[in-house]
Amino acid sequence: MSAEGQEKLWETKKYDDVRIYTDEEIWNYTDEDVANYKCKHDIPLLEQLEEGPWPSFVSDIKQEAVHRHKLAEQAPDKLLIPADVCDDLLGQVELSYVEKETHWKHGGIVGVFGYGGGVIGRYSDQQEKFPGIAHFHTLRVNQPASKFYKTDYLRALCDIWEYRGSGLTNMHGSTGDTVLLGTFTEQLEPMFFDLTHDLGVDLGGSGSNLRTPSCCVGKARCEFACYDTQDICYELTMYYQDELHRPAFPYKFKFKFDGCPNCCVASIARSDMSYIGTWKDDIRIDQEAVRAYVAGELKPNAGAFGNRDWGKFDIQKEVIDLCPAKCMEWDGKELKINNKECVRCMHCINVMPRALRIGTDTGCSILFGAKAPILEGAQMSTLVIPFIRVEKPYDEIKAIIERVWDWWMEEGKNRERVGELIQRKGIQEFLKVVGVPAIPQHAKEPRSNPYIFWSEGEVPGGWQRDIKEFRKRHPR
Amino acid sequence: MASIDEIKKVIVDFATNTKKSKFYFKDMEKAVQKVIPDAKSREIKKAATALINEGTLVYFSTGSSTMYGLKGRGISLETEETGKVE
Repeated sequence: MSAEGQEKLWETKKYDDVRIYTDEEIWNYTDEDVANYKCKHDIPLLEQLEEGPWPSFVSDIKQEAVHRHKLAEQAPDKLLIPADVCDDLLGQVELSYVEKETHWKHGGIVGVFGYGGGVIGRYSDQQEKFPGIAHFHTLRVNQPASKFYKTDYLRALCDIWEYRGSGLTNMHGSTGDTVLLGTFTEQLEPMFFDLTHDLGVDLGGSGSNLRTPSCCVGKARCEFACYDTQDICYELTMYYQDELHRPAFPYKFKFKFDGCPNCCVASIARSDMSYIGTWKDDIRIDQEAVRAYVAGELKPNAGAFGNRDWGKFDIQKEVIDLCPAKCMEWDGKELKINNKECVRCMHCINVMPRALRIGTDTGCSILFGAKAPILEGAQMSTLVIPFIRVEKPYDEIKAIIERVWDWWMEEGKNRERVGELIQRKGIQEFLKVVGVPAIPQHAKEPRSNPYIFWSEGEVPGGWQRDIKEFRKRHPR
Repeated sequence: MASIDEIKKVIVDFATNTKKSKFYFKDMEKAVQKVIPDAKSREIKKAATALINEGTLVYFSTGSSTMYGLKGRGISLETEETGKVE
């Protein structure tokens, strides 16, 4: 996500404007060099990991180690932290594998001036043995919406990180940020300066902050997008800068924006406030195209899974019978959908994208409370707002966000996620906070699970309860 | 309504005298509201941010949650980096 005023920086800026290394310095090693690399520490357990069929982080770190050793010979003034940072990293990880305990000291007061997030302090507790990773701080850099990058930007970012850090990255962290792994304290402020001034990007969120919002590819490339995920992601990132950089929440808070119920950024599982695109009207059907799928003229799933012969496409078996709501019917000529029963599973649309399209009356559902297990177990988001328009300037959505934050900041305990607070206080109270009346969609099992408790004032006519009369009929 | 300066003073008193050298925002908020009941969360946050910018308070982050502390009390950058406590 660009820093304010720098949104269009990379429309004109080129890698050559900010590059640090020459081509000879960048392409300074061969596969043979990597194959012959000998780490300065013995790492037999890590090397075992390279023997599997999967890509190995050990191989990646070795490659970077070779590159840095060569750079140290070619241009020693172009490495501001130790050249053997990767060797020491491998050495310490090996030690942890042997001893089965970590040697990282995690967290601390390091950061950049005025920011309460974006930097996660990390130190080795074996600094004499592994001086190259005595400090190994992480920086989280706010990714562009939908992770669209220009190669000029990525090359510039890699140069700066090679220069001021370990050169190791994680593309991307699970929150969505570009994660830069490992630098020393004295490089944090200069790195932040370079990121914001030369690259035009800001740090992301960490700690008890609003975390870096993230979104799916949205309308940029996807015909299923029910709203402009990139636009709202950018708007809320910029609007809530104070919440992103200056922590005052009880714990972390995440927004994720999915343009449709396929949930490509898994907002339903990973965000405190999940925005999932949906529609109110009917799925649009092109009956000619349906028949073309059935006749084998169009490839199901847009040709995905086509590397194996699955036999002739069977609409009954592969679509109709798999509909979780059983709301579809195929009579050999015409496809019918009882749209009132559709639960937006997206399966039929995914299988026959040329024949079926999302409706035209679009917006999003808002769900709250997903989280990974820390205090309580993992939980998925709970549907609270079945449908809301997603239109600039998003005032209605901002009002909901702020009501929830006010309640959570007031009622939440330290390190309590909003989903845990909803569990503790009850969905009924949460619905009052959000300002929506209870509706059947809020109840998972309306007749067996008394999810909503009505108070007397909420029921027309109220009721009178005589406990003695009740006990005559229902003795203890 | 309390001024930012009044809130800052209460925060510094709390940060100086509380038993723990690091504390959550909510603990700080409760301490301020005990002295200044009508102080709002946002005002307290503004005051805390001003104290951070002045260098009086520091953030302490584990990466997942964040605490505040009085600069120089408890852990310092030097002890954090070397692991040696004086």
